[in-house]
Amino acid sequence: MDPIRRSLLGQLARLSAGAAMVPWSSVASAGINDQPARREGDPTKRYGMLIDLRQCIGCQACTVSCHIENDAPLGNFRTIVSQFEVEEENTGEVATFMLPRLCNHCDNPPCVPVCPVQATYQRQDGIVVVDNDRCVGCAYCVNACPYDARFINEKTQTADKCTFCAHRLEAGLLPACVESCVGGARMIGNMRDPDSEISRMMEKHRDELMVLQPEKGTVPQVFYLGMDERFTQRPEAEPGIWDVINEAGKELGYEFGH
Amino acid sequence: MSLVTEVVVPRYGIAWYPWAVQYFFLIALSYTSLWVAAPGIILGKQSWLNTSRLALLACVSTTLVAPVALLADLHQPLRFWHFYAHPTPWSWMSIGSFLLPLHLVCTVLLAWLAWRPALKARSQANDSWFSRIAGWIAWGNWQVSRKVMVLVGLAALATSLGMMIYTGAEVAIVKGRPLWHTAWLPPMFVATGAIGVCGLILFLNRLSGMRNADTNRQMLGIMAGACVVAGFIALTWFLDGANAVSGSVAAALDSVDQSSAWRTTAIEGGTAGVLLAVLAFLVRRAPGRRKAFGWILGLLALHVAWMFRWVVLMNVQTVARNSAGFHDYEIALGSYGLTGVIGIFGLWLTALLLIELFVPWREASLDPRRDAPAPADHSSATDAPASSASASADSQGVRHG
Repeated sequence: MDPIRRSLLGQLARLSAGAAMVPWSSVASAGINDQPARREGDPTKRYGMLIDLRQCIGCQACTVSCHIENDAPLGNFRTIVSQFEVEEENTGEVATFMLPRLCNHCDNPPCVPVCPVQATYQRQDGIVVVDNDRCVGCAYCVNACPYDARFINEKTQTADKCTFCAHRLEAGLLPACVESCVGGARMIGNMRDPDSEISRMMEKHRDELMVLQPEKGTVPQVFYLGMDERFTQRPEAEPGIWDVINEAGKELGYEFGH
Repeated sequence: MSLVTEVVVPRYGIAWYPWAVQYFFLIALSYTSLWVAAPGIILGKQSWLNTSRLALLACVSTTLVAPVALLADLHQPLRFWHFYAHPTPWSWMSIGSFLLPLHLVCTVLLAWLAWRPALKARSQANDSWFSRIAGWIAWGNWQVSRKVMVLVGLAALATSLGMMIYTGAEVAIVKGRPLWHTAWLPPMFVATGAIGVCGLILFLNRLSGMRNADTNRQMLGIMAGACVVAGFIALTWFLDGANAVSGSVAAALDSVDQSSAWRTTAIEGGTAGVLLAVLAFLVRRAPGRRKAFGWILGLLALHVAWMFRWVVLMNVQTVARNSAGFHDYEIALGSYGLTGVIGIFGLWLTALLLIELFVPWREASLDPRRDAPAPADHSSATDAPASSASASADSQGVRHG
């Protein structure tokens, strides 16, 4: 459909529908679903992470160390490195693209205001955490997160996610994924301190840094250096994994495509 | 240009289970059935009385069962009291957790008050256990004034509007799922809810043996209207988003473009909706057709209302957000899947049967002096004043029919 016709259709729709839309938009902006006040944590700090993709070799050491440190159930991940095979159509050259994923500890986290019992909240140092004793397991936050950073932990039956290893930070340690990163690709620090390593790196590479799905308005605080812009969105890729099922119909695991 | 193939990505499961479909289905029937119950039971419109009696039965049964489905969708159902220990006015779900019990209390109270005259009458009839239980449920021989009934009814209508707004907004604010994030989803929930409730009442009209001709006419009329409204909403949703690069419509077009399962769903859904609208218009025109096909159309309408919620709540969760393609979702057999779906329908049927057994719901009335029928056994007519004879004739004949 040509653009002029499309925009005409849109205008028509708005003309006919505008009147009906008014009450809904006013309800939506009545303060419901706004960010609540942050609580706990050190207000002088703002933790963030910078991932230098040029250094990532996709070894999944972060995935494994996080899994061990945080005791996530099999099949669920607080962090994982997605890997893609990128083939240049003209030259036939093949390269691998690695994309470590974790909670973005957004400045406008969509998962926080939806929580009906305030079990998930943002600390004053920016870390988004879940109080497992309070969480009712409604999974509203799991659906609200556009990054699939949350899951329902089948052992605790509550919401689970990356906490930047807050328990380790408080003990003066680095998060498990940062500590174990072979290439030193992951960097965490206080972005309020202009002399911290992360602040200096961000200053140096300000124009090259990218975040995931910036258009969602979530203001992610995990920054990628050496990012291919296509991968900030849901990848336009061939899905590469299939479930393998044996003769008895039991699942054996994943198999890669081709 | 380059070709990208996924090599390692995690598989993401769904977070809301079929319980959510059951809740959204039943709660939509609950608030829309209250609106159908309003003309006869709250406003005292005689021509709507029988339809409203059926609607009140639909309303109470769905309102009682819906919260069970909602509770079951929590992974920690026993922690439901956290909702009340930590009120969170900025969360739609928290707002809903306060509205839902209010809605339940108001609708059940309204129904109880409307059923009490008939319950009292039955308690004085000589029907052994049924009379005794009717007496217990009636709980005394007092009678509230029409004013109180109307007040309770208006309170119930207010909570029903709250339920309508919260259930829609709760889903539509989720930016993380573009298909949900549209202002057109809440009105579509209402329109398909209205279609469903017309279907339910048509079906109950036949199932209960009431076979009221007026009810068939009224419900098919509203159903045809609701189909037109739903079509208008769907069309406007599409036109409103057709020129957008991202958003609800773009996500829908992507899904239909990329997945054969979504194409099938779109075709099936569209066909069922159009078929229902056409049949509703055709059937409502002739009394003979209304009588013969009304309940079949009712079942189709219920199917459309339920499937809409299944597609919106379940299928949308299979659209991957951070990986290519679509997640596999096969409905599990256990309580996270099929057993839950069937269990909730079973519970609903049980609620309907219990009410049928112990409550003379066919004689619900706003004003007992005007509407209440003489009891089936004329020798024990003690509660019905002389002026009540006219309105009762149709309802007593079918009490056990």
